[in-house]
Amino acid sequence: MNTINMVLCGLGGQGILFMTKVLAQVALDKGYNVMGAETHGMAQRGGSVVSHLRLGNVQGSLVRTNEAPLLLALEENEGYRNLPYLARGGRLYVNTTSPLFPREEVKGFLAKKEIISRSVPAGKIALDLGAPMSSNLALLGFFSAFEDKPFDYENLRQTIGKISPDRFRDKNLSIFDAGYHEGKKG
Amino acid sequence: MKREEILLGNGAIALGLLEAGCQVVTSYPGTPSSEILPEVIRLVKSENLNTYVEWSTNEKVALDNAFAASITGKRAACCMKQVGLNVAADSLMSAAYLGTVGGLVIISCDDPGPHSSQTEQDTRFMARLAKVPVLDPSNPEEARKMVGLAMDLSEEFRVPVILRPAIRVCHARQNIAYDPLSVNPKKSAFEKDPSRWAATPRFRLILHGELNKKLKEIGKRFDTLDQYNFHTLEPGKNYPLGIIAGGVSYAVIRDLLEEHKRTDLPVLKVGTPYPFPEGLASEFMSACDKVLVIEETDTLIEYLLGDRNKVLGRLSGHVPLEGELIPQVIYRLFDRTLRELELQPFEGENEAEAVELVKSLQLPVRKPTLCPGCPHRAAFFAIRKSKPKAIFTSDIGCYTLGMNLGVVDTCLDMGASITMASGFYHAFAQDGVDQPIVATIGDSTFFHSGTAGLLNAVYNGARFILVILDNLTTAMTGMQPTPSLGIKADGSEAKAISLERIVAGCGVDYIEVLDPYDIKKTIEELKKASEYIKEPEGGIAVIIARHPCVIAYRSEAIPEKKKVTVTEECAECNFCMDRFECPAIYHDQELGRTSINSQLCSSCGVCLQVCPKGAIVEVA
Repeated sequence: MNTINMVLCGLGGQGILFMTKVLAQVALDKGYNVMGAETHGMAQRGGSVVSHLRLGNVQGSLVRTNEAPLLLALEENEGYRNLPYLARGGRLYVNTTSPLFPREEVKGFLAKKEIISRSVPAGKIALDLGAPMSSNLALLGFFSAFEDKPFDYENLRQTIGKISPDRFRDKNLSIFDAGYHEGKKG
Repeated sequence: MKREEILLGNGAIALGLLEAGCQVVTSYPGTPSSEILPEVIRLVKSENLNTYVEWSTNEKVALDNAFAASITGKRAACCMKQVGLNVAADSLMSAAYLGTVGGLVIISCDDPGPHSSQTEQDTRFMARLAKVPVLDPSNPEEARKMVGLAMDLSEEFRVPVILRPAIRVCHARQNIAYDPLSVNPKKSAFEKDPSRWAATPRFRLILHGELNKKLKEIGKRFDTLDQYNFHTLEPGKNYPLGIIAGGVSYAVIRDLLEEHKRTDLPVLKVGTPYPFPEGLASEFMSACDKVLVIEETDTLIEYLLGDRNKVLGRLSGHVPLEGELIPQVIYRLFDRTLRELELQPFEGENEAEAVELVKSLQLPVRKPTLCPGCPHRAAFFAIRKSKPKAIFTSDIGCYTLGMNLGVVDTCLDMGASITMASGFYHAFAQDGVDQPIVATIGDSTFFHSGTAGLLNAVYNGARFILVILDNLTTAMTGMQPTPSLGIKADGSEAKAISLERIVAGCGVDYIEVLDPYDIKKTIEELKKASEYIKEPEGGIAVIIARHPCVIAYRSEAIPEKKKVTVTEECAECNFCMDRFECPAIYHDQELGRTSINSQLCSSCGVCLQVCPKGAIVEVA
């Protein structure tokens, strides 16, 4: 099995660890070895938070720059900040409401590296469904609309259902579904 | 039946401890070690074990407690961050001489970067200084196995053993399968032997000799410990360059060589850097013209290698002397070294263009800040307003972020807010200068290292205001309980220790307890305290600013929610943003005015007391 590297980023409090947990569990359930790296401590107090996830037979927990085919950003600027991690031909998923995404200055770079960038108003989707802190689930739903196994819609949905606490399960799944439909609309 | 879970590195360490039959685990929280004890507790509960756990008041206390358990024959461990081992150093140095009976493993987690620490110090050097073996895991799975090895070694050779996981082991996640755990039935038995357990200097010399012998034996053992120490040399072959790596750096090197299929570069993996596996290392060195040493964080292996002419590393300028060795840093330094030696470089893209592009975007700098609703912010605002000319000594915890509000001038080590305040006092008093000083310290840090400094300050006649920021938790490291709460590490009931009584017991006569959310009252009390310290009979004034942490206690911390907004009265003076720095108050670019981010706002209502124009008002 080839190694799959991914980087997830955003701001402290946006639920990056939960998003990582979902993807790691999906991969484990599908037979991948999982290795990841998380941010804890002072940086969690509103700073930039990054989480790395590596699937396959690897020893180290960090993704090297240029090596991640997937970058998921819960905040637009954090997405730009982590661009050096994206591999040629990679895919960038960003939570933003900005109609100007991606910024003019990065368009040339994305084209040159054949990177596909997609944006979704994940924060707004979550807010409209009454859970402003759950933009992570909306972004995951959106992401699943474009990705193949192991990160397809069915797999992700099943795992979110499995690991959500009882009282949040229905809400979590409805936000995830809304993100997915936004992607399918695209 | 085997169970498989994605464990945090610290969870894998906890699992390793319990698999090794560890009966006592003590700890003081500190990033990146904080999750080990909670993970031990989780497993003890789910597997019905009887391991004793405690959050100790500091790392020295933790180590002393674990040491006593060890010399009753039980297996014990204590966990801390690397700078915590400084606090426990007194205990460690002596315990190395006295030796152990049951296994004693000290887990000291390093923080190269540093991400959440005062220094990037390398625990392996501390092990060398204390003359105890140290194991350096490269990932969670190896850390789990090494804990068992450390326990066995400690028991066999009767010496404490240190496990040094770096942050990328502690906070890595990996899938790990494990069998059900069982209770270790070993009972305590203490054999009195004053010449060992209470050794005087005469006996200490003998014990030092014993320790040296143990190290020699362990060193030999490490030469053949091929699960953790091995090389990839082919017999009889000579190489222009070999790599020597240990710990997390080994994991990065191994992935890199595999990915680039570089079988031309042999690797010596050193999982046990001290005592150094010298035989194995000299075998490797003699087959290589040059060796590149890549280790986190300092130069231990580099120092221990014999033939200096062959060694490339930090001392020769090939490896950075500071900062974490993340994969791209290793990739670059490795590639540079290959080019310098005219060997085949790595193939691959350079990230320089992307890095330059990111720089040119001038993205907002995200510095960590106190949370919306944080009671420390309210206390800091009042302190700055009432004592603008004071020297502000502070301490280690969330409230170090008071620096953003201009109310933290110093931060040295745990407890230094108080000791530096007395130091400043005497330095200025000597010149006849009446320098106002306000020290701030958190409740957990006060319990950890506050009392010795406070009673020293009282005894030696220092005068300053000490504000104990009591948020009823150890917030920065993940909400561990403090001794004042009446809760033990495992959630069971404990005797609650009164902060007020401790402060009074240190000889402080002026103690005021208040809620910092009431800024007016806090300012008044700070004024009264200032007057007290100037009185002839005055001394140190202690204000305990008590309000629960908004993260730990959530809605309980803000019983009276107040929705706020900014009115037309706002003069856009930025006073609230500069002095109060609440993440929920921001300048809305589109509206061109100061606004409240309702998603971030905690509705604490403290900002209603902040605006000089009264432009922040409650929404009816």
